[in-house]
Amino acid sequence: MGKRLSVAVQGFHPSSFLSEETARLRELVQDKKVISAVSGGVDSTVATLVAREALGDRLLPIMIDTGFLRAGEPERVKERLAISPTLLKVRLVHASGRFLASVKDEKTAEEKRKKFRETFYQVLKEEAQKEGCEYILQGTIAPDWIETQGGIKTQHNILEQVGIDPASTYGFKIIEPLAELYKDQVRMLGRHLNLPSELSERQPFPGPGLLVRCIGTVTKEKIRVLKEATRIVETSLAPFNYEQYFAAVIENRFAKDPSLKAISEAASEALGLLKSEVHVEVFEDRVTGVKGDQRCYGLLAGVKLSEESRETYGWLHDRLRQLQTGIVEKFPDITRVALLVKERRGGGPLSTLVRAVSTRDFMTAAVSPVPWKILKDIGQQVLKEDNVSRVYYDITPKPPGTVEFE
Amino acid sequence: MTKIPVVYVKGQYNHLIVRNLKELGVESKLLPPSVSLEQLESMNPDALVMGGGPQSVRSPDHLTGELADAARLIRQVKLPMLCICVTHQLLATAFGGATEAARKPEFGPVEISVIDEGQILEGLGPSFTAWESHNDEVVKPPEGFRVIAKSSSCSVEAMRHEHRDVFGVQFHPEVSHTTKGVDLFKNFLHVVREHQRR
Repeated sequence: MGKRLSVAVQGFHPSSFLSEETARLRELVQDKKVISAVSGGVDSTVATLVAREALGDRLLPIMIDTGFLRAGEPERVKERLAISPTLLKVRLVHASGRFLASVKDEKTAEEKRKKFRETFYQVLKEEAQKEGCEYILQGTIAPDWIETQGGIKTQHNILEQVGIDPASTYGFKIIEPLAELYKDQVRMLGRHLNLPSELSERQPFPGPGLLVRCIGTVTKEKIRVLKEATRIVETSLAPFNYEQYFAAVIENRFAKDPSLKAISEAASEALGLLKSEVHVEVFEDRVTGVKGDQRCYGLLAGVKLSEESRETYGWLHDRLRQLQTGIVEKFPDITRVALLVKERRGGGPLSTLVRAVSTRDFMTAAVSPVPWKILKDIGQQVLKEDNVSRVYYDITPKPPGTVEFE
Repeated sequence: MTKIPVVYVKGQYNHLIVRNLKELGVESKLLPPSVSLEQLESMNPDALVMGGGPQSVRSPDHLTGELADAARLIRQVKLPMLCICVTHQLLATAFGGATEAARKPEFGPVEISVIDEGQILEGLGPSFTAWESHNDEVVKPPEGFRVIAKSSSCSVEAMRHEHRDVFGVQFHPEVSHTTKGVDLFKNFLHVVREHQRR
């Protein structure tokens, strides 16, 4: 935690940023009203507070319930932001039915993200019309536009930077006070604005939410299982101070590729184990990664070690890193590698993945070394869900993975 | 104030280079590689950093878009220059070296062995961990360049010109997981200031 309490470095001073940005906002907006799209996350909360300094009551915060938020989240965020020191009166807009309908026939990550973005801005457009607002304020930060512009993934809040003009498409203009900042600078600004640490240090949650952790086709049942797994993983890993930790869900459908044997061999070689002790399966649904600055919508390899080896290697994070490198450097189509933690034979059609990463700015991310015992405890709890038969631990850094799965 | 623009070739980390330089007290911003020599000169920069990007330089005669422009800058600009990742490969091919598909592409943490400390790798030896993300690699450095670092998978992790202040690194000193990356930028600034004195 020490590194987070860093002093202001050269190049970014919260107080001068605040005075320059509020002056710019006053000049830009004049006496008009602005809708602010909040999620409860640090970016949109800080962006909203910066704008309120400049605009006061002319700023109207709303939160869209997309249906892909965590259990109880919309109400919790509304209550939390209403009290001191934020004192934001957030209006909830319920749109979960519309969002689910818009993505239900999509399978691939980018299509899901684009449908989500479209619905997101349609809802905002209607709200802006209702309120007579010309401007929408959002908490976009540097990695959002960098990744969208670079074609790594479509972030839901990026339009102008990829050539979509919001004024002609949706009838409003967009304000992004934090667009040049990174997460750690936003947190620094949040602390400067006296945000309590539960808000300023809150772990990131993607705009499309659980949608991008529900790998492949979206169903109500997958989302339900994912909400429960998310609760278990967040509760179990909260004490560890990882920058981000969460669950994902994927269907147990596997590729029937002839190179599978070679992948298993590469895995056993990387670990120095007998071939009979290592078994690799490759999931059919693809996951997002980034290799050589290019988006790589690749395959996820699930590695199963014999029970005894698993007990040893589960603790050896350097060896797991070698396992991941040994597979990814030899098979260009494989983006991510996960280690089987626990399974229940004859169980349901879904697998759950546990992801935990350490990072400063989310541009690169290291795999957090979650203690094997904790992973097994999580596995035990998640496997109580009838529809889940396996629990994996994602051992892929960014690059070649990304933090989220889609 | 020292001025070092960063040439943006669409890599994800280019903007982080600007951040690193600003934190070291340098005036910096992203520039498109299509910037003309006159425009560049009118800004009166002290050096140039070229970022990474998603393109491939394997066919040096058929470079497109940003890389064609970046190659022009590499050939024409006579300032101190630091080229990172794809522009390190471009630096090699622009001066007659060779870049090919890597036998073992590197993603994430890699152990870098320093061959020649001094200048940009001062104080980084004998080895350090850097983060990488590349499918191609320099297989033959150009004449007049010296290889100053390697890894177990890649033989040209860093190189420098024998007489000019021009450097190429395959790894990414600008990402926070390359913990000694900031030392490399400090060393580069030292080179830039020495250059100004001459």
